[in-house]
Amino acid sequence: MELPDPEKLPRREYLRALVASGGAAALSACLDFTGDDSDGDRPSGDEDRPTGDPETRPPRQHAWNDALGTDEHGNVVPPEHHVLVALDLDGQPEAEDREQVEAAFRSLEQAYAYDSEGLLFTVGYSPEYFEQIGAASPIPQPEALTSTETPAFDEFDALVHLASDEPAIVLEAEEALFGEVSEPNGVEMEQTLEGIFERAEPRRTGFVGDGLPTQYTDESGVPEGVPEAFTHESGVQGTIPEDAPFFMGFKSGFANSQAPEDRVTIEDGPYEGGTTTHIESLDLQLDTWFNQDGRFLRVAQMFSPEHAREEMVDGIGENLGASTDIEQFVDQTSEDARDGIVGHAQKAARARDDDGTPPLLRRDFNTVDNEWPGLHFLSHQRTIDDFVRVRQAMAGEDLAGEGIGQNHNNGILQYIFVNRRGNLLVPPRERRSLPEL
Amino acid sequence: MTMKEDDTTDGRNRFSRRGFLAVSSVATVGVAGCLGGEDDDSDDTGEENEDGTAPDVVEEDDVPGPDPPVVDDPPAAVYKPTHRESMGLLDTVQVGDYLLLPHFTFPHRFWLMRGDDDEPTVADPEDPGLHFMFAFWDAETGNMLPVDITESMTVRQDGNIVDRRDMWPMIAQSMGFHFGDNISLPEEGTYEIEVQLNPIRARKTGAFEGRFEEPVSTEFTFEFDREAQQLATEGVEFLPEEEWGERGALELMDHSGHDHGDHDNGHNDHGDDSHDHGEHDDEHGHDDHNGHDDHEDHDGDHDHGEMGHGEMVLPPADEYPGVDLGVHSSGDADFVVRYIEDSRLAEDGDNYLFISPRTPYNRIPLPDMSLSIEGEIMEAMEDEKRPQQTLDDELGHHYGMTISLEPGDSFEIVVETPPQVSRHQGYETAFLDMPTMTVEFEQ
Repeated sequence: MELPDPEKLPRREYLRALVASGGAAALSACLDFTGDDSDGDRPSGDEDRPTGDPETRPPRQHAWNDALGTDEHGNVVPPEHHVLVALDLDGQPEAEDREQVEAAFRSLEQAYAYDSEGLLFTVGYSPEYFEQIGAASPIPQPEALTSTETPAFDEFDALVHLASDEPAIVLEAEEALFGEVSEPNGVEMEQTLEGIFERAEPRRTGFVGDGLPTQYTDESGVPEGVPEAFTHESGVQGTIPEDAPFFMGFKSGFANSQAPEDRVTIEDGPYEGGTTTHIESLDLQLDTWFNQDGRFLRVAQMFSPEHAREEMVDGIGENLGASTDIEQFVDQTSEDARDGIVGHAQKAARARDDDGTPPLLRRDFNTVDNEWPGLHFLSHQRTIDDFVRVRQAMAGEDLAGEGIGQNHNNGILQYIFVNRRGNLLVPPRERRSLPEL
Repeated sequence: MTMKEDDTTDGRNRFSRRGFLAVSSVATVGVAGCLGGEDDDSDDTGEENEDGTAPDVVEEDDVPGPDPPVVDDPPAAVYKPTHRESMGLLDTVQVGDYLLLPHFTFPHRFWLMRGDDDEPTVADPEDPGLHFMFAFWDAETGNMLPVDITESMTVRQDGNIVDRRDMWPMIAQSMGFHFGDNISLPEEGTYEIEVQLNPIRARKTGAFEGRFEEPVSTEFTFEFDREAQQLATEGVEFLPEEEWGERGALELMDHSGHDHGDHDNGHNDHGDDSHDHGEHDDEHGHDDHNGHDDHEDHDGDHDHGEMGHGEMVLPPADEYPGVDLGVHSSGDADFVVRYIEDSRLAEDGDNYLFISPRTPYNRIPLPDMSLSIEGEIMEAMEDEKRPQQTLDDELGHHYGMTISLEPGDSFEIVVETPPQVSRHQGYETAFLDMPTMTVEFEQ
């Protein structure tokens, strides 16, 4: 893949583009750009970057919250850069291969601190993996969840989700898993995945964080890589707010809308302490969202009509603190729909637990993998059924036809296009390497 | 009524019209009266240069595109717009259970319905491109399917996405119910267009039951070239200025192709599925459905019940079965109301209340509204019921509900949400504020 040109892109966009490109050359360019020693043997971003200790990592792979920072309201701040590395088994694995795989993962844990400045990762396994090793899959195959989607389905065997605030680290860790970098952050890789896993498609990347989407846009607020036709000289309704963490211009992941890690953790059986992952890859339609729609409609469709009428959301929603207060509008969802408009958060909140706990823990991020604004909606939940239930509540097909359309005026359905779905089992850390063998 | 150039704050001259062909009928828009709507030839000056060659594609910015005047202070009712649009037609294609006709005109303003707001939202064209429209029918019967199927369109150039969106369900006086939107096309060239038609989730009865259940898609290539731009613009016909804003409506266009250009460059990639125009012309005629019986205000003599493929309008009121409970008016829409005893459409073959809302003058169905029934008769019912949007292969689009009525009963039809369809010029001020109608079952 041709590497991006540092002369032509702003700094953050250039680094994002390198993460998207991937590979040793991108890593090298990334380190050159950040002014680091890049002799190939010790391509760490920072001479003084802390290393890590595998012994102190928690038993749950998905226990990231304590390692992540929070904002002033107590909302967890996700890592900025993400790579989803798809893996296929390279032949039939043996039980003794587990040690090699585990050594590779432990080497990464040794190389980086367990925080956003370092590296967070999870390893998950698909139904294909269990089929290939002759075990019953603890999770179902992905399927279309709404009547208007025709997604592709993940077919790879396993997936490593790498996340860090440092673009060089996600690139370096990815390369290290395949032996392209021998000493990430100066720590020797005891083993790699070579011979057991090989790269599979698709490789996905993305970013999330205050102001990141607009960093990756041209001066008219349009995502980089999006054709000129997308731009609007008029800027009638404005574009992506400068401080928005997501393309659609609002904060998300409010503490009160996120499942606690306990809620998404498997409670018993062989995978006790693990979780599941669903990844839904979407294209977004931002022209309609920012240019045909006004702010009232954006707030009404993202949150609820009452949020718009009561002007409850300022800007990107910073004023909401840690809660969208969506609970109080859940009961009027059907009534709002009959009146002609219903909110995304409002619909999804219908699937909360009886005590109001949300069942999904979102770890989603923006992407321009398709050279078009998109989102990799990655979430953890105790069971895939939890995801299906929430996603179908969000689809609101039960509400359509009575004042709102299947997609129009029906939350944000009109602005998202599902391209791909996949389900993964994320075992507890002690079983993360070739489970069931 | 007075004409005006679009005088909104973001007036048209702010928008680049790069790449748009400035044919005369376009360039002279705004010269009131010089483009009489009854003069179908328009003015040909400038369609050719003085030496007889074709006009040049104008590349300069700020060339006035075909941005027709709007009517100042239109009535809160269906009214005659300033012009009739020009269209290019692409090949009709069968896609699953659907027969799809893609067509296009120049990008223009239209009005979005978002919830129960009294004022529709204006969608202005802002970039060069085209207004794409998709009409569709049941491929088997030619019946129209005027409901929200959430049609989406993806435009690619050399494999890269140029645009991807759900098209708006929309009504136009001359084109009836369709899906459409303004699509920016950055430059002349070849585009790949993928259209997905989704399942019909409205209640389906009769031969429609169990059909239209799967999302289906088709792809074709589209040549955005001078010919396409000419087709999109040069057939614009202006009505005499004194008619602008008058209560009334344009007739439906005949889409069979002879009045409007077929765009030769639209190639269908699925030739096997492709149907030639007119294939369904004669099989399911509703030729007698074109009388403008409810209103007299038609100045044309065309017969426009079909579009070369299938039906475009609903039957007149007197063609429906059952006890005639009248044609009621609300927000300038006509509601044909019937009481059908022992109906297959009712639960357990019981009795059925049939409500068919349509536009005045040309009987275009008004879908995706929310209705309820109020009155003493409802108090006797155990469950909360409301009329359900229904597509029936015989009775067509309507709202229906199982009910039991006696002569002497009366009830109210309440429009909780007006039709959630976007509107072309002439419909944007109608079907908004829709007062309750009282229906009496006379002794």
